[in-house]
Amino acid sequence: MSKTLLYLLFAIYLMATSGYLLHIVWRRSFVAAVSLILVFAGVILQTALLGHRWWAAGYLPVTNLFATLFFFSWALALIYLYFELRYRIRATGLFVMLLNLVLLGGALPRDTSISALIPALDTPLFSLHIIFSFVGYAFFAMAFSVGVLYLCQSRLNTQLLPDLPTLRKINEEAIFLGFGLFTLCMVAGSIWAHIAWGHWFSWNIKSVWSVLVWMFYAGMCHAKFVRRWQGGVYAWLSIAGFGVVLFTYLGIGLLLESNHPLE
Amino acid sequence: MMVSGNSSKPFLLKLWALGCSLKLAIALASAATLVIMGGSLVMHYNPAIFAGMEQEVMGQWLPQAWSHAPLLVFWVPLSGLCILLFALNTLCCLIDWLIMVRVRWRKTGEYLIHAGFILLTVAYLWGNLSGFRSGPHRLAPGERMSIPNMPGYHLQLKEFTPLIEPSGRPLDMINKLVLWKNDRQVAQKTVRINHPMVYDGLVILPSSYGQDIQGFRFHLPGTGFVDLVSGSRLPISSDLLLVVHRFIPNARQDKKGRVVEIGRRLNNPALQISLLGPAGTIWQGWYFLRRQLPEVMVGAGIYLRPVEPVLTTFSLLTINRDPGDKVALTGGFFITVGVIFAFFSFYRKRTIDDRPEI
Repeated sequence: MSKTLLYLLFAIYLMATSGYLLHIVWRRSFVAAVSLILVFAGVILQTALLGHRWWAAGYLPVTNLFATLFFFSWALALIYLYFELRYRIRATGLFVMLLNLVLLGGALPRDTSISALIPALDTPLFSLHIIFSFVGYAFFAMAFSVGVLYLCQSRLNTQLLPDLPTLRKINEEAIFLGFGLFTLCMVAGSIWAHIAWGHWFSWNIKSVWSVLVWMFYAGMCHAKFVRRWQGGVYAWLSIAGFGVVLFTYLGIGLLLESNHPLE
Repeated sequence: MMVSGNSSKPFLLKLWALGCSLKLAIALASAATLVIMGGSLVMHYNPAIFAGMEQEVMGQWLPQAWSHAPLLVFWVPLSGLCILLFALNTLCCLIDWLIMVRVRWRKTGEYLIHAGFILLTVAYLWGNLSGFRSGPHRLAPGERMSIPNMPGYHLQLKEFTPLIEPSGRPLDMINKLVLWKNDRQVAQKTVRINHPMVYDGLVILPSSYGQDIQGFRFHLPGTGFVDLVSGSRLPISSDLLLVVHRFIPNARQDKKGRVVEIGRRLNNPALQISLLGPAGTIWQGWYFLRRQLPEVMVGAGIYLRPVEPVLTTFSLLTINRDPGDKVALTGGFFITVGVIFAFFSFYRKRTIDDRPEI
């Protein structure tokens, strides 16, 4: 992948984020519209880059830290677009795109070369596992962003942000969709583990924390029916849940020895 | 899911209401999450105790680990209890939903996920109490081995071919395997990475491979190259036969003249040889390849010149048994269908402005 195109992509997302910031300061709707167009352009470029890497590698190249950060960033941008088009959340984009910049910024200095696929990963189940996993993570990241904004809005009560019921609705939708996709990731991963290693669940640290992520969000899918927890507590849970996701994704891969190393 | 109870209800109804309680589900899921979170850190910092957790099924690992370090492993049965209670709570909710399915059919997706979770819990318990994990088992082409813990079952490796890139990177390990039950062939498959042999809960898959020194190749003037391995019989002339009894890749002769094997790595190879004539054994002894040929062999005109070791490639196989694997697969299927249904019903309910509820 050309580093120039990667920096161009980062610049596009940076401009979009700056646009959302300007929108908050100036409160001009055309600025937000331009930012949205920039996000669109960024997603198209990122999709093309991802597609090109996939075609060049012959497999979904999400096997190292650069590739996972890049894929996570793409999924988050795509999911932001989905919520923006569905709910017109505008200023909410600032926080989501900031998170996206952090992900892409983390990928920028890393080696972009595609490494040879180890034989055990050469199965469509691996691609499904990865796609469901990172799209699920992206929904959890969206829920985290919306959770933070919910807490901000409950204190600021500003016109710039969507109202609390809308933020709550988006948060619940992101958690629900994220949980569903992460569940499919777990199913695909379990079937793959069974054919690759002869067991569908193993007590290694990555699998254990993946179950924890699943249990946490399964609990959240139930917690939304507890009246006292709707809104504020749910927002805090979304933030805590994303902490669990980040530890599962980055903490284990970078800090601990696991069968899902990130290099 | 029931949220509230009534003090005037009979005890069984109260118990049922507790079993179906949403708050209980959240409490149990939270308890399991917290216990496993703490336990995973204990796991990480005590690899000596928890290393076997991946190699064995829980039913075998836990009693051993408990006897060594009960304070470090107590969280495992505790988390298991939380998950078991969570699964029971899920079962109660599922039954409660089934009773009222006519009015609550819109939640089919969500309750399929519940059913899948229950099946996975049952499958895990079944597999970990009555299954096993074993290996790596060394098997050379043509060899046959008994399947551990399954009397009457044997596995035979017909052919083995490791596929290796020019760079030396292993690509695949192709094993032609036959499974026998009381000398009746019950399964046959070419097993390679991500393509295991699956039979009645058994999963047989390649884990690695290696090479072993079987013997040595020699040049014999007038004959050409000959491979001498344990059991080889080489006719030298019409009335002289050379028999190899044993090959040792790294042998040592002690002060009493006894030859012992000190390893399988090639270092000091030796052949135990007999020379047989028409009247019987002419000579029997050890030929150390690093030394001169025994005088009796030179005298008989056998000028063997060592050329290279004869290597045999063997496969290392993992053999696991999980009798609950089909139940787990059914659970996975329920969950997958449940997620698809739930997504559909979620948007359907939002379209008709109905609050999505699980």
